[in-house]
Amino acid sequence: MWGKILSYIPEWKVFMQGFIVFFIPYIIFKLFNGIVSKQKTHEDEMKEINDQTNQKVELEHQKSSQGSYDHYTGDFNLDVELVKNEIGHNWDVHVREFHIGNTDIRAAIIFLDGLSDKELIDKHILASLMGNVLKKDEQESIYEKGVFLQTFIKNEVLSVSDITEEYDVKQSVGKILLGATALIIDGIPNVLMLGTVKGKSRNFEEPVSEALVRGPRLGFTETLSDNTALLRQHGENSDLSIINFQVGKRTKKELVIAYIQEIADPNLIEEVKKRIQSITIDDVAESGYVEQLIEDNYLSPFTQVQNTERPDRVFAALMEGRVAILLDGTPFALIVPVTFSMLLQSPEDYYERWLPSTLIRLLRYLAAAITLFAPSLYISFVSFHQGLIPTKLALSMMGTREGVPFPAIIEALIMEVAIEILREAGLRLPKPIGPTMGIVGGLVIGEAAVQAGIVSPIMVIVVALTAISSFAIPQYNAGISLRMLRFVAMFFAALFGLYGVILFFLLLCSHLVKLKSFGIPYVSPTVPYRASDWKDFMVRMPLMMMKRRPKMLHTKDSSRQD
Amino acid sequence: MKLNYMKGRFKLGLLLSFILLLLTGCWSSKEIEDLGLIVGTSLDLETDTNSREESEEQEARNSNKELITITNQFVTSETTGSGPKEGKKQQAYKNVSETGDAVLPTLRNMILKNDKRAFAEHSKVIVIGEDFASTFNLKQTMDFFLRELEMRPSALLLIAKNHASNILESNEPSKIPAFQLVEMMKGHKKTTKIIPPMTFAKLEGKLYSEASFLLQSVVSENDEIKFVGAAVIEGKTKKLRGFLTGKELEGITWITGKGKGGLVTSFYEETDQPIIYEIISTKSKIIPHVDGENISFNVKIESEGRIAEHWVLSEKTFDNKFLKKAEKATEKEVERLVKNVLDKIQHEYQTDVSGFGTRLRIEYPKVWEKVKKDWDQIFSGVPIQCEVNITIKDYGTSGE
Repeated sequence: MWGKILSYIPEWKVFMQGFIVFFIPYIIFKLFNGIVSKQKTHEDEMKEINDQTNQKVELEHQKSSQGSYDHYTGDFNLDVELVKNEIGHNWDVHVREFHIGNTDIRAAIIFLDGLSDKELIDKHILASLMGNVLKKDEQESIYEKGVFLQTFIKNEVLSVSDITEEYDVKQSVGKILLGATALIIDGIPNVLMLGTVKGKSRNFEEPVSEALVRGPRLGFTETLSDNTALLRQHGENSDLSIINFQVGKRTKKELVIAYIQEIADPNLIEEVKKRIQSITIDDVAESGYVEQLIEDNYLSPFTQVQNTERPDRVFAALMEGRVAILLDGTPFALIVPVTFSMLLQSPEDYYERWLPSTLIRLLRYLAAAITLFAPSLYISFVSFHQGLIPTKLALSMMGTREGVPFPAIIEALIMEVAIEILREAGLRLPKPIGPTMGIVGGLVIGEAAVQAGIVSPIMVIVVALTAISSFAIPQYNAGISLRMLRFVAMFFAALFGLYGVILFFLLLCSHLVKLKSFGIPYVSPTVPYRASDWKDFMVRMPLMMMKRRPKMLHTKDSSRQD
Repeated sequence: MKLNYMKGRFKLGLLLSFILLLLTGCWSSKEIEDLGLIVGTSLDLETDTNSREESEEQEARNSNKELITITNQFVTSETTGSGPKEGKKQQAYKNVSETGDAVLPTLRNMILKNDKRAFAEHSKVIVIGEDFASTFNLKQTMDFFLRELEMRPSALLLIAKNHASNILESNEPSKIPAFQLVEMMKGHKKTTKIIPPMTFAKLEGKLYSEASFLLQSVVSENDEIKFVGAAVIEGKTKKLRGFLTGKELEGITWITGKGKGGLVTSFYEETDQPIIYEIISTKSKIIPHVDGENISFNVKIESEGRIAEHWVLSEKTFDNKFLKKAEKATEKEVERLVKNVLDKIQHEYQTDVSGFGTRLRIEYPKVWEKVKKDWDQIFSGVPIQCEVNITIKDYGTSGE
């Protein structure tokens, strides 16, 4: 009887296999749980710290408002000293003392060299203040009434449009550092802040990273006000809301979000606001910082915030009900939420007629597929599924691979890495050398490697095709993420052949389906399926047929045309 | 502390998943240049006693049993090479033969003399020698090839007159005979002397039904491969019964109506000069008649075509009278072809290879149930009427 029972008990090998089958998925599950919970605890900690700092700031604020030390006193020497204490050690801060015309009232202007408009200061501020301001007979009475003097100067002397009164030293100093000019007059307990800001900016140029054949040759610049002006200039639209935020704890920077009030989903706007307010970094150097700090999933290889230099692209996104984020100091505006299809679209699709646009769009999807899968398919065909190649092609592939000492994966890796290095090197080189180096490097490496028998000519074709396809994707960073995933696909292909490629594809799909950008599924309108949104997905239907805005964005007003 | 712990776990997990991937290795990975693609296979009956003694294993036992010789045509990375090099011309293929008493052991023995791994997924053609086909049951010997994972259902089956391994030899070293055979087979659309290709996909059905069928036969004359007629495989024994000549095969093609193109050469009655009729389309209908125990068939053949060439100088080509006469002459010729082949398959081979049984089964299933057991026998005594109707609808020659 024992024997009979024992014969039903499986061998040790089976138990071992069972153990592996159970524990490996369990370990993977635990692993990712670990990452997620780590992220969460980190966030919690950050929140606590934030709360504490906020409380501290409030306390300090209360304290400072109680003590009157930081306010201007009206005593000229003391006031100048106060400002000098704050910023006087800086080389570019200038203090110019003078007497107001025909009197002996002492005054001083403080300004920042470089940021403020010197011509304006010389011609309109100093000239009018130092000229014949007051008649002799009025002198006495006005001198006694300090406040009256101030209004008099404001109303009758200074021909400057932007004038504010400032009592707080800290705030006035902040403005001076941005280029305003502070005017301190003896006997007056505040300063006049004169708007003399003249920021450095460059001309509007065609964006280099997003060139079009047809479309406006206009790109954003580094100046926020110019950029918002570009959006306003697009056309009269009273619904265009531009809301301002300050980001950066130490270096404060202006950031605006733009949306169309009557179209954009209020929940989306709230979400964007919330995420921007959660940025606590000390300095936001570029909109890339914002992008990385507000994106949904930092582990995903896909970009979840679109960046663009083109005002027309931004405006088109706004009209679809999306939200744009513009940061001072960078020409790159951000658009949220993003779906995968946006990365393969170009503004030109809408400017050209629908048939060529549709075909070009389909071509881009093909290019994306080639970028992602061409090398891995080559590897799986050459190393695993030779039966799937047409016989004559198999013969020529066999012939060309004769004498190649590496398996297909190594061969592919050598060439792919070489081409990535070439690309990176060509990017950083000075413009006149860049293309030459690319061509020479490409030709030499391709030709010589084949001659030397390190790689097969067909591999060179595959690699070249892949590289060219990856540049056919209009969004540069989308191309990068596909190129990155290509290597993963290659390893999968090397391990399991076509089966592995399909596994990889499924893995990618399951990730994409789960991924969301600001609450919008990343691969919509594929999943969730919305037939009406397919009009502007892989194909672009005629404009007459696109009468509704994309449903996935839950817009307030869904109709585009009647 | 907690963060460190998490980090450690993360690293461990990463390590484990990498190990998991690497442990699997690149299993069943084989580089294409290490393969020897089998593009063609021939099967022969071994008659040479010398080679029988050479194969040691068989010496001990079964020394009287028929042995089979399998020749595989390999194409490898070396034979395709990088184009023909200067001076010497390289042979584009490499034939490897091995003798044994069953298919698989013989194939496995080839490993002993071949450095390339055999890979049959690109196998195009299997040629069976005359002796082999008339000795062995095809159903039994082909079973291995039909069930082999690497074999494709698109592979062709041919019967060779004489030795099959000769077919896989070519006097032009740059050509691969197996591919040549496949390309030649495509000619069946232009001539009635080649039957529609018998692929493995179709063969399986034929082998498992009791019906007789035809296979294209091929011969190697002076190092030249040539299609000559067809081989008749008897349904019951699944063995080669005999061959049909090219002319006889034409008759079969007319009966089945499968001809998509081809020529009929007839002679003008009055002057005995040739008229060549080119087929544009053919239609045939086999109508069975059952009268009690007596079964008879009517074959109705209709064809449309053009006169592609004629040497009759005395007549006006576009004259309707001439065309009528030409039609008559062609009809007579086709009838002669059909009669000729019917005589041969009914009386000499006693096998039904042109689908008479199928029609009977469809139209009189009850009768078929009775006769299907020895249909080939009954078929040999069945009267068959033939009716040919040719329409010339196109002038292919100059004339007035």
